[in-house]
Order: sequence, then structure tokens, then C-alpha cells
Amino acid sequence: MKYALFVSILLGTLLFLDISCNNDTPDDGKPTGHISLSFIHLVDGLPLEKDIMKYVNAAGNPYEINQIMYFISDVTLHKADGTTKLISDWTDIHYVDIDIPSTLTWDVYDDIDTGVYDSISFVFGITKEKNQSFRFVNPPEVNMMWPDILGGGYHYMMINGSWKNNENVIMSYAFHMGIGQLYKSNVIEVDSIYAFVQNYFSVKLPNSAITVEENKTCNIEIVMNIDSWFISPHSYDHNFWGGAIMQNQPAMQMAKENGFDVFTVGKIE
Amino acid sequence: MKKKIYLFISFFLLFAAGIRAQHLSDTIVLGGVVITDTLLKRTPFVTTQVSKEIMQSVSTRDVGDYLRSIPNVSGIRKGGGAIDPVIRGFKFSQLNVVMDGGMKIENGCPNRMDPVAAHVEVEELSQINLVKGPFLLNYGPALGGVINLQTEDPHPYAKFEIHGNAMFGYETNWDGAKEYFSLYGGNSKVYFRASGGYRKYGDYSSGKTDGETTTYNTSFTKYNYGAKAGWAISPKQNVLLSYSESHGRDVMFPALTMDEKSDDTRMMSLDYSARNISEVIKTLDVKVYRTNVNHLMDNSNRITWSAKQMVADVNAINTGGKAILGMKIKNQNLSAGIDFENIYKDGVRTMTMLMMGTTSTTRFNLWNKALIRNAGLFAGYTTSFNSFKFDAAIRVDFNKADSEDTLVLIKDGVEYFNETASQFVNLSANLGLTRKITEKLSVSLAFARGTRSPNMLERYIKRLTIGYDNYDYLGNPQLKPETNYEVDLTLTYSDKKLGTMYVNGFYSYVKDYISAVMLPSSVIMPATLGVLGVKQFVNVDNATFTGFELGYTSPQAYKLGVNVIAALTYGQIPSETKHIFIAGQVVPGDIVIKNDALPEIPPFETTLSVNYRLLHGKLIPRVSYRLVAAQHHVSDAFDEPETPGFSIMNFSVAYKLSKNININAGVNNIFDVSYYEHLNRKIIGSPENKKLYEPGRVLFVNLNLSI
Repeated sequence: MKYALFVSILLGTLLFLDISCNNDTPDDGKPTGHISLSFIHLVDGLPLEKDIMKYVNAAGNPYEINQIMYFISDVTLHKADGTTKLISDWTDIHYVDIDIPSTLTWDVYDDIDTGVYDSISFVFGITKEKNQSFRFVNPPEVNMMWPDILGGGYHYMMINGSWKNNENVIMSYAFHMGIGQLYKSNVIEVDSIYAFVQNYFSVKLPNSAITVEENKTCNIEIVMNIDSWFISPHSYDHNFWGGAIMQNQPAMQMAKENGFDVFTVGKIE
Repeated sequence: MKKKIYLFISFFLLFAAGIRAQHLSDTIVLGGVVITDTLLKRTPFVTTQVSKEIMQSVSTRDVGDYLRSIPNVSGIRKGGGAIDPVIRGFKFSQLNVVMDGGMKIENGCPNRMDPVAAHVEVEELSQINLVKGPFLLNYGPALGGVINLQTEDPHPYAKFEIHGNAMFGYETNWDGAKEYFSLYGGNSKVYFRASGGYRKYGDYSSGKTDGETTTYNTSFTKYNYGAKAGWAISPKQNVLLSYSESHGRDVMFPALTMDEKSDDTRMMSLDYSARNISEVIKTLDVKVYRTNVNHLMDNSNRITWSAKQMVADVNAINTGGKAILGMKIKNQNLSAGIDFENIYKDGVRTMTMLMMGTTSTTRFNLWNKALIRNAGLFAGYTTSFNSFKFDAAIRVDFNKADSEDTLVLIKDGVEYFNETASQFVNLSANLGLTRKITEKLSVSLAFARGTRSPNMLERYIKRLTIGYDNYDYLGNPQLKPETNYEVDLTLTYSDKKLGTMYVNGFYSYVKDYISAVMLPSSVIMPATLGVLGVKQFVNVDNATFTGFELGYTSPQAYKLGVNVIAALTYGQIPSETKHIFIAGQVVPGDIVIKNDALPEIPPFETTLSVNYRLLHGKLIPRVSYRLVAAQHHVSDAFDEPETPGFSIMNFSVAYKLSKNININAGVNNIFDVSYYEHLNRKIIGSPENKKLYEPGRVLFVNLNLSI
């Protein structure tokens, strides 16, 4: 009987022997720092004053701005040796809304190797593979939904406001960018759409060299010069394009081409 | 509907009166096993058996609700019913909940609106057996405990007899009415049982002690029916064929993002049993079964419906069987058996968004023809020698899973969701020794290792809030099984004059504990309105559960009956990583939390019940006082809020009017206390994420008729 008891205890002990120790994976030990992006909105070089019709664009349209919302994605830091760091450890798409202060700063989650980075680039809007309907289901991003019948996904940008037309009548405009459509005829009907056009574009920020130091955060201001959407290379005339351009690919193409110099870098600290 | 019920009741009463006239002198046999009180078996682990009478004496509207009255058994409440049992902090698939000794049901709802216990009504049960810990291995893999819900079985009679039962119950507060009828009988060869029930409950209100009451949208309608037919092939051999259906309609869950529109469950089984086959082989039991759950849920009762409509439709089928042989050689009992389970699950969520004057609709699969197959071999052995009793059991499971999912999530070389197939061989075993120190005092020590493979949800669910916290969850097809190494020490004292007392202490070390971590939004975005992100199931190194239970029951010989229970579980995880959110954004600087509490672990609680047998036991008033401590040991990683303590008092009277009529009536939560259990889920959409409170004062009456 003692033998049975001994065997019982032995087996019981064996059952517990399977408990193993932790296997912590050591990190690579490289020194890292962080970056933080702040979004600044200027018109004619001065901070945006919204809801006041005080601006005039290159086409001579008096205009005001009420809302600005947009996405930037795939922010990339470039080194002189050609290596890059894509910001995507946690999120790769950032939503900016001038009415939501928390969106005006992006404390980037990624650990970034210390060193000098020559420049910063990003995608204005969202690339085709990521711009899929139902990607965002929660506000505020969900409110950027772009109808499926017009290409789906989400707006790249919404600038809402009003302008004074040639008859001095105040009209609303929705300067919206997203996936464009090509129509079979001059009649803009969804049934005649035969192709979609991706209007997102890459932005390489001029003078955006930064130095990332160990355990420090480099704060970078990204400036949207709003007036630049309407200046060059094309003078954008609200009177010509009208209030809504979601179904007007030529207008969105013009905006896209004007976008090359919209973004600049402000202070880097 | 009510008219039909009244007609049915009238017909039944008339029929019953006729039957009674015919069989006035017959002995009343209720059928099935009847145990007259909650009692402890002399096993090296803690087991509890609950009789039908006990269940009938309280205002139970849900099996899970009743189970909460057992020491160290709690429940997760998300609505009016379908409370999901938690034993010593183990929950969901960590518990093996079976019906009729082996029939399994795969719940259809990913939010667990329909745990197994919700597919059977209390009135159908003859007995509940509950074993804490991974000690009972012949019902399937067991990690944290086993619950067997035994429904009433028909049995042969010497000559043809027919009997009936009827139950009518009503509860105030949520205007809850329930009816149940059964008819059973037969002769020495053929016997049967047919039964059905209907229950309709409205919204309940919380107690008033916090100021104003809150009324929750907790209404539900459920009905069930079924039949069993038996054939006594010989005095030693029986066959039993069973079929039943259980249906739920408009079952509201204010603590979930959707409500149950409909749930249709079909259960069928065929049992063969043989007794005293030879000198050595004493029993042979064979069971085959199939259960099918069709579950439909949506958010049509929520304000979000106007902008975003979510409909989820799930089909779950569980097919299986088992065979177990019981042998006896002198004072040694041996059992050996095999079992098999095939789980199939398929489900789709349809989302429709109404924005900018247009409608967009998409369909996500929640499960895509997912399959889990589990085959088990098991054996048990018990013997006694001198003052010792020895128990041992072993089980080997072969588990294989796959799915037709096409989702691929790979980023930077890390595969989050890709290869869907997996297979495991799991070993479970236990040993127990009970030493009878004196005639009255015994001590038991039991060791166990219980391993269970990940379930359908943990392996394959895709982006749905399943209620742990405010996140969508993603399955992980490459999860490993989790293993519980447990030791139980139990001291039992039983005296005819003093009563029975037991104290149990347990320690569980769970290796490869299945928890969840948040995934970056660059990997996957949530699909549910209002959630913070997506979490994926992962194995973490380990978790521990420690605790104790104690109970005292006074001798039944006395008129005054006293019952005391107390229990505590302490769950801990050595290390958890928590991400920091600021204004909805994850920012740098993760926090590593050391020795964090496990979420959803109930606090310490104790209950004192006193009853007095009047009129030779025909009239028994009973009062119980339940005291629950505050829960301050909460999970930081899961942002689990603390819960204040509370105490409530219940009163009931059981009156046996005649041998055919029993009345149970009483009042629960006499002082209309506002309280919620720690495990109750948060109300979706409430401004401060308030938890779902328990019902306030409820007056109830149950009338049981039998002929």
C-alpha cells in the first residue's frame, strides 16, 4: 500500500514537471527615439481664421473656410543612405480635423532608430489597397466615407466653406477629394461610370531633415498652406467648378496637381 | 398566445383530473434521480449535486442564474437571462458544460448570448452535477470544471401508467410568467416522456437604495418542447431516443452590442445502456447525439440602427458520441471509454451603413465553415484500502481544427492570421487520495492536470465584441492548448448531530493561459461601432488561481436547518502589457503591469440560509442572507472597474399542500437593494460605462402540480 502511495505522489509530481520557465526575447538594443507630428493650417502664411469670408484665391473668389478634415498615411523617414523608416508599427493612417484638437497632434508610437533623417514624405489621402469601405466604422473617420457607387473607401480630404460668386451671392462649396470616376458621356450619372481614378498622391516635404535622439521626441510641424490648393500650377475657380466636385474628376485632378506644394514643414524641435 | 396557453392549461387540468381519478391509489413516481438536498460526495475534489426540489424552491428563470448560488460559482450577466457560469474564475470553454452525461452544444452566439445552460430550462432538469477543477474526465476535456445538466429521463413501469406534471410561475418586477407541462409513463417495455414550457419576461428594474431605479431592456421570450421514448430490450438493457427543441425570441442584452432576434436549437440523442453484463463488466453506456443551433442577432433595438445596421447569423452543429465501460474487480472500480466530437460553425455578419444619402452593405464572415474534431480516450480507477480511498483518471485527446477562412494578416513578417489548420495531442490526468482520519473526519489531497484546446471563438472569430472589454476580438488559429495544473486540499467533517462541514483550498497554475493583446490599427481596424480597437487571443506564459471554499449544512433530522457557504478566488497574471490611450490615440510608452489581476474574478462572498420545518415538513419557511465583499483586485490591463460590496436578503416559503400540489413563494432582494455583481457586464452606450444592475425586489410564486 505504501508503494501505491509512493507511486501516486511520484506521478503527481511528474504532472507538475511540465511547467517551464519564461523565455523572454531580448530586444535588439538599438538606441531609439520618437517623433511627434503637429498639424498647422495657414492661409496666405497666417493661421487660419475659419467662418470669416476674408480670403481671396488666385482666381479672385472671395472665400471662407468652415471645416477641414483629411487623411495622411504612410509617413516615411528617409536617410541619406537610402534606407527608410515607414511609420506603421501602430497606425499608418492619421486623420486630421481642425475642429478636433486631439487630431492636430500625432504622437507617433513607433520606436525610431536614432540618427539624422534627410527628409519626410507621406501619402496625401489613402492608397488604393488601404482605402477600402468599412475600414473605419467609428466617428470621426467614418464620417469621411466615400460612397461605394463613386469608388468607395473614404474621402482623402474635405474642405467645406463658401465663396461669393460673380453675382455676389454666397454659395457653399465642398472641396472634397477622393476616388474619381470617369463617365461614358457628359452626363454625370453613376450608371455611366466606366473607370475609377485614384487621386491620392505622395508628398515629399521640403527642408524636412530631422535628427532623432535617444529617448527624446522630435516635434515636427506639418503645415497645410490652404491657399495653395487654389494657386499653382492651376488657378482654381469656384465659379467654374461649382460647389461639389466629388463627381468631377477634372476638378479633383486639378486639386491633386495643385497639391504638390500645399504641405511644408514648420518648426522642428 | 395567452389565449392558447389558457386553453392548454384548462385542457391539461381537465385531463389531469381524469387521470387522477383513474390512478388515485397509484404510487407517485417522479422519475429520474431525486436527491433531497445539496450534498457533498466523498471524493478528493469538490463536487456538488443539486436536486430538482432545490431548483423548484427558488425563482430561477435560468440555469446559469441558479448555478450562482453554489459556492465559488458565479455568472456573467449580459441581459435578463442566459447567465454564463464561472467556476473559481474559470469560464467559457475552460468549463465543460454537458447535457445528459455527454451531449454537447456549440453555442451559436459569439457574444455568448446562448451558453450551453441557456439551451435547457430549469424545469427540464432532474439534477445538476458540478465538479470543480479538472477532475472529471469522462465527459470530455476539462480545465476548470464540469457541469452536467441531467434532464428528466423516463423509466419503465411494472404495468402501464401515465403521469403528468405542471408548473406555473410568476414574478413581479419584470412581469415574468412561466409555464411547464410534462406527461410521462409507459409499461415494462416501452416508456416515454413529453414536455414543453413557455416563459415570457419583461424588462426588470434595479433596486431603489441608490436613489432612482433603472429599468433595463431585458425582456425575453423562450419556449421549448421535446420527447423521449425508451425501450427496455431486456431487464438489463435499455435504449432511449430523445429529441427536443429550445427557442428564444427577442432576447434583449443591454450589455452587448446586439440582441438575440431568434435562437433555434435542436437536440437529439440515442442512448444505449446495459447493466451487469458479466462478473467484471458492470455497465456499458453508449450515446450518440447531434445538436444544432441557429442564432440570429442584430442591433435593430438600438439607436445605432438608423446609421449602421448589424445582423449576425450563425449556424453551429455539434455531432458526437461516447462509449464508456464500467468494471469492478473486488474493491477496485475501473472505467474506460472513448468519445468523439465534431463541431461545425459558420456565420456571417452583414453590415449596412447609411451615410451621405447612400447605403453601403458588406458581409464579413464571423466563422467560415470552421471545424473542430476532438477524439478522446479516457480511463478511471478507484479503490480503497485501510482508511484510504484512491482515485485516478487519465485522458488523451486528439484535437484537430481547420477553417475555410481566406483572411490573411501578415505584417513585417509576423503572421497574425494565416494558416488555419492546427492539431494537438493533449494529456489530462488526476490523482486523489482521501484519508479517513476518524469516522467523522477525512482529508483529501488531489492533483490534476487538465488540458483543453482553444475553442471556435479563440481560434477563428473575426472582429466582434465578445464582451470582455470594449474591443473587437480576432481569433488566433495558431493558439496552443492551455493546461491547468491544480492541487486541491479538502477537509470534511460529518456528524449526525452536528452536521456536515467542509473546507477546501485550491491552487491552479494555468500554463499557456489564453488571454488577449491589442493589435496595431495598421494591422487590423475594428468593425464594431464604439470600440477602441482589435484584440487578438494569444497564449501568455501563465496565470494562477488560488482560493478556498467552505460550507456547513446542519443535520436534516432537526426542524431548524442552517446552511453556510463562503468562497474566495484570487486570480493573477505575472505580466501584462498595457497601451496608453490619449484622446483615442495609442501613444508611445507601453506600460508593463506586474502581477495584474485576472479579469472577471468574483470577490469573496458568504451566504447564510436558515429554514424551519413546520407541519411535519410540509411548510418550510427559509430566509437567506448573502454578503458579497467589494472587489478591489481588478485587472488594470483590461481596464476593469472595481465593484462595491453589497448584501441582500431573500425569503421564501415552500408549502406541500398535498402529495400532488406544491407551492413555493417568496421575495428576493427584500430590501430592494441596488447592486450589481462584479461579473455583470457594462451597459453598452451608457455615459459612464455603468454596469448592468441586478433586479430589485422580486415577489415570486411557483405552483407545481403532479399526478
